Amino acid sequence: MKSILKIALGIIAALGGFLDIGDIVFNTQAGALFRYDLLWAVALGTLGIAVYAEMCGRVAAVTGRPVFDVIRMRLGFGLGLTALVASTVVNLLTVAAELGGLAIILQLLFDAEFSLFVVLAAIGLVIVVALLPFGGIERLFGYCGLLMIVFVATAINQGPDWGAVAHGFVPSLSSSTLYLYFVVGVFAAALMPYEVHFYSSGAVEEHWDESSLTENRLNAIIGYALGGVLACSLIVVSGYLFHPLGVEPGDLGTAALPAQNAYGETGLLLALGGIMFCVGGAAVDSSFSASYNLAQFLGWEWGRYRGPKKAPRFTASWLVFLFLAMLVVLSGINPVEITEYSVVFAVVALPMTYLPVLLIAGDRSFMGTHANGPISRTLGWAYFALIIVLALAAVPLLLATNGGGG
Amino acid sequence: MNREPRSVAHRLLDEQILDSEGRRCGRVDDIELRGNPPRITALLVGEGLYPRRLPVRLRGLARRLSGPERWGANALRIPWEEVDEIGASVILRGKAEELGLGGGDNPERWLVRRLPWN
Repeated sequence: MKSILKIALGIIAALGGFLDIGDIVFNTQAGALFRYDLLWAVALGTLGIAVYAEMCGRVAAVTGRPVFDVIRMRLGFGLGLTALVASTVVNLLTVAAELGGLAIILQLLFDAEFSLFVVLAAIGLVIVVALLPFGGIERLFGYCGLLMIVFVATAINQGPDWGAVAHGFVPSLSSSTLYLYFVVGVFAAALMPYEVHFYSSGAVEEHWDESSLTENRLNAIIGYALGGVLACSLIVVSGYLFHPLGVEPGDLGTAALPAQNAYGETGLLLALGGIMFCVGGAAVDSSFSASYNLAQFLGWEWGRYRGPKKAPRFTASWLVFLFLAMLVVLSGINPVEITEYSVVFAVVALPMTYLPVLLIAGDRSFMGTHANGPISRTLGWAYFALIIVLALAAVPLLLATNGGGG
Repeated sequence: MNREPRSVAHRLLDEQILDSEGRRCGRVDDIELRGNPPRITALLVGEGLYPRRLPVRLRGLARRLSGPERWGANALRIPWEEVDEIGASVILRGKAEELGLGGGDNPERWLVRRLPWN
């Protein structure tokens, strides 16, 4: 009974922590531009992250190796360093985007200078991380991120044409470069690598072993599937409200408006609160990921569970990443723009961190009886092929559409 | 030729190193092989060894960034006799400090003492 409760709480935290600024920006815009047409790309990306996270969690539980440990082992120093540098740049952009998003929401709620909120948001995150243990951080943002369920309620309340919604899950391609750009963006936003790197390091933080494999599987399958429902609801509410009006949501606050339309002031506050916790949690996850990756690659002591005294370089690098991200946001680049770059470059860097994990997860000499079975193997390689195609297409599409500007 | 030390070396290269108390204290950045047939005589650890792990054309630049190899400072030799166990990581017989490892995570260092909440 106790273990069922623990697993349920884990799933809830995975669900609440699923969305970040990338999903919110891309899915809201995708709904406004293409109504329900891109729901299939969300579903595809969600299955992708479930496959990748399940493998990473399983490798971490069985061998005690998080992602960048595996990368250094499999790719060696030189190629591994390339993966590290690419991932770190993407992570830094992601932290900046999430921090900027957090500041935007705070500004909408409390109305004062934007740059003040950027600094306050960063300080607030340092305080939260300093005070709470690893599990507490995960639960705070995960549970409060559940406020995003207001978007699912809004979608149901609006009563969209469910036939059209269902039709959105049928994959379709068009020759429009803008549409293709959003296919890549929506897919990549669901499959941000930092989430998985954080997840696998978290497995070590929480001392997972072979007895945690059921928990891992349920987190990845149920937690992410429900997270995918939240991500889809963003498209549905935006497609219902903004598409007929021809509104193009250019800022983060617009994403909360459908909830206001359905439930008034309460809906707006719930939506803004949900976005705040999702984006805040993602800022912590992505900045932790950056320092996990660095520490694991170089062999430093790491982990929130070790405490700053035992893992000082890990802690210091975390503070440095957060500080650098703060400078990026304060430089005045629009956080929505930073978000788009972080998502597009994430999919470019993804194959380098995905392949080593796929290889180790399928290697019986490391994994024994827990190596990839036929389902994981087939899905794992199919997604690898898909990721390669999207990684090659991402930058040309970004340039061709002028960053989604059309 | 005796191929065994080579495959062991391949398996060990880039592996995480833990000391006798389970502290993470570096990775196997290079391996010293001696004799004929070759035997592993030491694990080499430290950031001074990074340039030699890179493609030849990048080494000059890397050396300028990381400084030259200084044995005992940024490049350490851990004699093979110090290795206790090889599992998911390489586990040493002694504590990290005794072998000069993990100095960057030493709690007495300046930056470390000034971290918030320490």
